[in-house]
Amino acid sequence: MKRQIAVVAGSATVLGVLTAVASTAARPDDDPVRLAATPEAVQVVGLPCLPSSFQLGMTNIGSADLYADVELAADGPVVLDRRLVSSWLPAWEPDHTVNARVGVTAPRDAEPGSYAVRATTHGAEVTVPVEVLPQPPKGSGDDLALGEQAVASSTHANFDVCGAVDGNTNSEQWDTLTGWNDGTSGVFPDTYDVALAEPAPISRVETWTLDSTRYPAARYGLRDFDVQVRVGGAWRTVHAVRGNTAGRVTSTFAPVTADAVRIVGLASNNRDYSRLIEVQVFTG
Amino acid sequence: MWLICCPVMTGDRNPFRGLRLDAVDATRRRFLTVTGAAMGLAVVGSLPGLASADGSAVELTQLPEYPFALGVASGDPLSDSVVLWTRLAPRPLEPFGGLGPRPVMVQWQVAEDPAFRRVVRSGTARARREGSYSVHIDVQGLRPWREYWYRFRVGRHLSPVGRTRTAPEPGSSPQALRFAFASCQAYWEGFYTAYRDLADQEHDVVFHLGDYLYEYSVGVGAGVRQQQLPADTLRETVTLDEYRGRYALYKLDADLQAAHASAPWIVTMDDHEVENNWADEIPEGNTPTPTRNEFLVRRANAFRAWWEHMPVRLSQQPIGPDLQLYRRFQYGDLVRFNLLDTRQYRDDQAAGDGSDPPNPGSLDPNRTITGAEQERWLLDGFAERSARWEVLAHQTAIAQLDTRAGADVIVPMDTWDGYVASRQRVLGGAAERGVRNLISIAGDLHRSVVSELKADYADPNAPNIGTEFVGTSISSGRDGMDNDEGGLTILAENPHVKFSNFQRGYVRVEVTPDQWLADYRVVDRVTVPGGTVSTRTKLAVADGDPSIHVVGGQ
Repeated sequence: MKRQIAVVAGSATVLGVLTAVASTAARPDDDPVRLAATPEAVQVVGLPCLPSSFQLGMTNIGSADLYADVELAADGPVVLDRRLVSSWLPAWEPDHTVNARVGVTAPRDAEPGSYAVRATTHGAEVTVPVEVLPQPPKGSGDDLALGEQAVASSTHANFDVCGAVDGNTNSEQWDTLTGWNDGTSGVFPDTYDVALAEPAPISRVETWTLDSTRYPAARYGLRDFDVQVRVGGAWRTVHAVRGNTAGRVTSTFAPVTADAVRIVGLASNNRDYSRLIEVQVFTG
Repeated sequence: MWLICCPVMTGDRNPFRGLRLDAVDATRRRFLTVTGAAMGLAVVGSLPGLASADGSAVELTQLPEYPFALGVASGDPLSDSVVLWTRLAPRPLEPFGGLGPRPVMVQWQVAEDPAFRRVVRSGTARARREGSYSVHIDVQGLRPWREYWYRFRVGRHLSPVGRTRTAPEPGSSPQALRFAFASCQAYWEGFYTAYRDLADQEHDVVFHLGDYLYEYSVGVGAGVRQQQLPADTLRETVTLDEYRGRYALYKLDADLQAAHASAPWIVTMDDHEVENNWADEIPEGNTPTPTRNEFLVRRANAFRAWWEHMPVRLSQQPIGPDLQLYRRFQYGDLVRFNLLDTRQYRDDQAAGDGSDPPNPGSLDPNRTITGAEQERWLLDGFAERSARWEVLAHQTAIAQLDTRAGADVIVPMDTWDGYVASRQRVLGGAAERGVRNLISIAGDLHRSVVSELKADYADPNAPNIGTEFVGTSISSGRDGMDNDEGGLTILAENPHVKFSNFQRGYVRVEVTPDQWLADYRVVDRVTVPGGTVSTRTKLAVADGDPSIHVVGGQ
């Protein structure tokens, strides 16, 4: 096997190692990396649990395998979960695109507007427009839990703890991580907490457990659970649900000024995991 | 690769004084003859020559912050050389350890004494961003079977001192070898107390048999460590920067650093350095990299980061997704270690990769856990009969392990039980070639299991061909207990298993021409710092007798 060192100098230096006889095809060996973003633009809301993201695509269209470093920077209030993506990029035919997820968030006080994320490597750059959207209304009749910080006793590796406050109540989209699944099979209780932005006189909680055509609530949903609210640092049970087989459970109670809501999963209908599609909190 | 020769300094109170950086320019071949001293050679194992034309290639010789936060290491000892390693990382959990883009010049020294009064080799290496500012110095011209001490320096910053030891002269007859082996160190499941105990002993060499890190998130709060860590540590490692960051996190552990600094290490890898239960080009499935092509890119990233963070030679540097991991180490005519690679060339796990009865897949004579080329290399080596103790140092158990109580035989498909023909060929091949004492050391199981090895476990009259010492995990599996239900079942169902324990720890071994003596060190608790380490048992094998004898501690 013939090996050859290809060198690209620059702020993001790239080292390439040819793993085959150098190709004579018209593959550029100067600046062979192409960058792309999917989607090409992202929208984000300045709430702690409404993360957005894009896939950074890196393609080596040259004739030599190489290692690339792609540096990421955001302007304005936009926050990224990583500043660097490094990867081996093979010079395969046909071209192979290596994808890496880049998480995008904005703080609560972010000024709505148009911003950008820039991903750069030597000889290539992609700009991802980021629109920071206005905050959703959090008044009477609005879901106070939407996008607020969720914390769970555990979260299954395939799921995101924010899945049950993402505004999506559609169980048919369970596979797209629009829900929360705890991480300890057969072990109860499990807790799922949502901290509100500020204390509010809440009187209704909607608990949506998994209930799809394939995974009906009567078989896979939460059977026994407590709905709790946090008052002065202490959890208070406002509704004890037992023997549930429905996908949506409405808990109404006398208004109580609380700063957080907790679902305590005590048992699911198939006894393995607690599964929530959405938790919603209302004042009226 | 470049050969660099460096002035040998003796009797200098400041041993780094007078070493001019421009005299050791690694971009040119250069040999300096030194009167009255052996010529020192070192192969500098950072990436070959990046002669950039712009300012990013101008080396730094000073750093404002202490760069040795990840410690030092040495490894792959030969009779005349050993690899020295460090990675500069003033801010270890930041991209490139907080450095970049310019290279940094790193000075190194090897001395015959821990106070560095008798420095015998020294030089300068260039740490580059392409190698995440790691350096691999292949120090040449050392004397056999000798202790040495080493350290690094950047500007005013001195690294911790490491102790290392060369292998004996080829053909010599050392009277004893003292070594240790360890595996499986999930960061969030336990403190590395076992490594503190290991570091407090003097070993000639230490083996790491895999799962040095795990690809998984360390979890919010990092489990028992109760640390708030950057968001990068919560992602499953897929890209090169992610694997580099995870190595940096694990290597920040002071006990692990102490263990590396205490002796040369010989390191292999198992599955979790890439991802759980990968097999050759086949990913586990249901992962961030479910296709072959995605997995191969991930494998290349994982291999690259492994090389950057381990004290191994340039010959172990990966070429994309390929890595020469299997290799041999000889300790005179006393012990030969065959370091195996049972991941990169194996057939996919049989029967869906769970625990199953022996089945057409696991019994298929055409399936292999080593690949044909490595198997031939191993068997050819057996035929040389170069040492009294022929050791297989590798990932997972060779012995059959029935894990189901009762008449059913249920064995794991990821160990050699899933590759019965490989077991028969390797063990049978050792017997055919007259190997005097065959011993397997392995990890992976998160439990200690000591067994007598047979080529055919289906034959109750099959003779013992060798013995196997599986060591438990350093931390994976949390505290454990003396024997859980699984351990009791293994003891009850497998008459060839002579010892089982489900605590955390490591194994020390003292080998003499007459005896192999294994000391199972266990930790009472790893979920809190400062657990107590003690000997759980000592197990012996006598020369020429492949059976296990309990000699104490039980």
